[in-house]
Amino acid sequence: MITGNVTSIYGKDINTDDIIPASFLQQSNDRKFFKDYAFDRYDPAFRERCKQTTANIVIGGENFACGSSREQAVYAIQENNVVCVIAQSYPDIFYRNSLSNGLVLITLPDTSSFQIGDELRVDLDTYSIENVTQGTTLRFEMTPDDCDTFKQGGMIGRVRNHLAELLQASK
Amino acid sequence: MGQTMVEKIVSRQVGRKVSAGEKIERLPITKLFFNDVIGPPAIEGFRANFTEVFERYGTAPRVFDPKRLYFLPDHSVPAFTIQIAEGVKLMKEFARETGAKMYKEGDGIEHVVLIEDGQIVPWDIVLGTDSHTDTNGALGTLAFGVGTTDSLYAMATGHLYDFMVPESVKFELTGTLPKGVFSKDIILHIIGVMGAGGCSKRVAEFTGPGVRSLPMDARTTICNMAVEMSARTGIMAYDDVVADFLQGRAQWPVEPIDSDPDADYAQVVTIDLSSLEPIVAFPHKPANTTPISRLQDMIARSQREPTPDFCTIDDDIITDAFLGSCTNARYEDLVAGAAIMRGHQVHPEVNLIVIPASRKVYQRAMQEGLLQVFIEAGANVESSNCGPCFGSHMGVMSSKAKMISSSNRNYKGRMGSPEARIFLASPATVIASAIEGRITDPRKYL
Repeated sequence: MITGNVTSIYGKDINTDDIIPASFLQQSNDRKFFKDYAFDRYDPAFRERCKQTTANIVIGGENFACGSSREQAVYAIQENNVVCVIAQSYPDIFYRNSLSNGLVLITLPDTSSFQIGDELRVDLDTYSIENVTQGTTLRFEMTPDDCDTFKQGGMIGRVRNHLAELLQASK
Repeated sequence: MGQTMVEKIVSRQVGRKVSAGEKIERLPITKLFFNDVIGPPAIEGFRANFTEVFERYGTAPRVFDPKRLYFLPDHSVPAFTIQIAEGVKLMKEFARETGAKMYKEGDGIEHVVLIEDGQIVPWDIVLGTDSHTDTNGALGTLAFGVGTTDSLYAMATGHLYDFMVPESVKFELTGTLPKGVFSKDIILHIIGVMGAGGCSKRVAEFTGPGVRSLPMDARTTICNMAVEMSARTGIMAYDDVVADFLQGRAQWPVEPIDSDPDADYAQVVTIDLSSLEPIVAFPHKPANTTPISRLQDMIARSQREPTPDFCTIDDDIITDAFLGSCTNARYEDLVAGAAIMRGHQVHPEVNLIVIPASRKVYQRAMQEGLLQVFIEAGANVESSNCGPCFGSHMGVMSSKAKMISSSNRNYKGRMGSPEARIFLASPATVIASAIEGRITDPRKYL
């Protein structure tokens, strides 16, 4: 169960340059570095809002985090104590990058009901979102495989095993 | 039912016939490349995640195949901070240790250099750590931009995990381009029609007589921007133009590829090239397009109904112009720009930056006198790199700047100040505008 509060609501076509501008990318290889520059040119108040709440939920529109493949966009969101993003759709690169890091992405055809401050309980086992504040429950769809990968925080275990298989076979 | 090129390439790699919608747990790839933005963290991640596995098997760390792995420092070179210099050094050391190919600063932009060097051939599955890896699809390859994690996994095992075979959208290009209209105008028009998310989760296949009449450089411009409508990638079939291009250049076996005539598409979109005119994309997204003849209407609309990603524009004045980037800085682009520049001067209020896409393009442009045209007109010509498109050096924009660029993204803050305005257009439109200091239809110079 993921619980948190809605602290940011964005419109459609938010891009990864909005989330983390290019000029910060080569300043560090440490993912924590990007925390302080999230949404720096688009919505610098994002970071301050995230500090006020221990578990933040970001609401997006269509095509959330389009554009550049920079995985630092995932770090910038995640390191600000964001536990989950709920948007209408995501382009594939960002979706894959989020899977790799266990940033849970929920897809809902309509995200217009959410309000700033709403307390949400996201249940990956029943594919449901309980909006505690509004007293409503929404269902979402997700493949069981993606659900497992989000829960495991990525697929590194599987990749390590695959590498071991390959090294064994080449012995 | 026949197969799309995407389905064919994946089928060959996994050794069985697959269709769109199928999930491939382990997809073997054939080429992998890194730039200076993602290369350094990926190398660190590779070491952190896999050193223990290599030790367990008593082998030194090794990559999936050093002949298929490339490092290209292109985004922020020559380095302008110590951190960037350290990153490039790390790539050099790692390439030396593993036997991978390391390019030099100034050799050029990743999506240009590997194609130019014959490293990319039809049927490849290419991963690159940049969303404009889709450019490589112009050679009949399946090319994906990936993040740090996917790339460092692929570096270790040569695979992409949990790959969903995408559907394709067919863009059927008919007719021929009018004079003064270029492939950049075609793709800007298509993005405008489809919208920023219009091709999401699908591959954009560009086909038809309108594609077959285009030279290689022009084709790469189209595939380059497929991601701007959120396409998974762009792809084009093998034909005589590709064959001629790869003749004497290809470093790997070349085999023709095309989709079957009865392949299944999610959507078919027909574009009549003869109906197009120069296109300009307004800030802050590439899908905000207008034919240049309706420029003033678009400016009026931006004042009437602005949105966060379609901002108010006061007039058609520009202060900066950029001819460069992986979209439009190949030889033919410089020829198109120089044809307009010749005999004119850059407007006194405009800073024009010209960056050839690779060292080879630079040298050819120099030998043929193209660089001289730009330099004598008052342009700044820089060594090959991504330049102002990446927004970190060589032309970062102030709050009052209004840029017209041959690159691919005009996001808010992309090239510097979030107050700056970026317009996208073809090299011809960029140069015509640099001469006049306002957004200008290039056809008046032809």
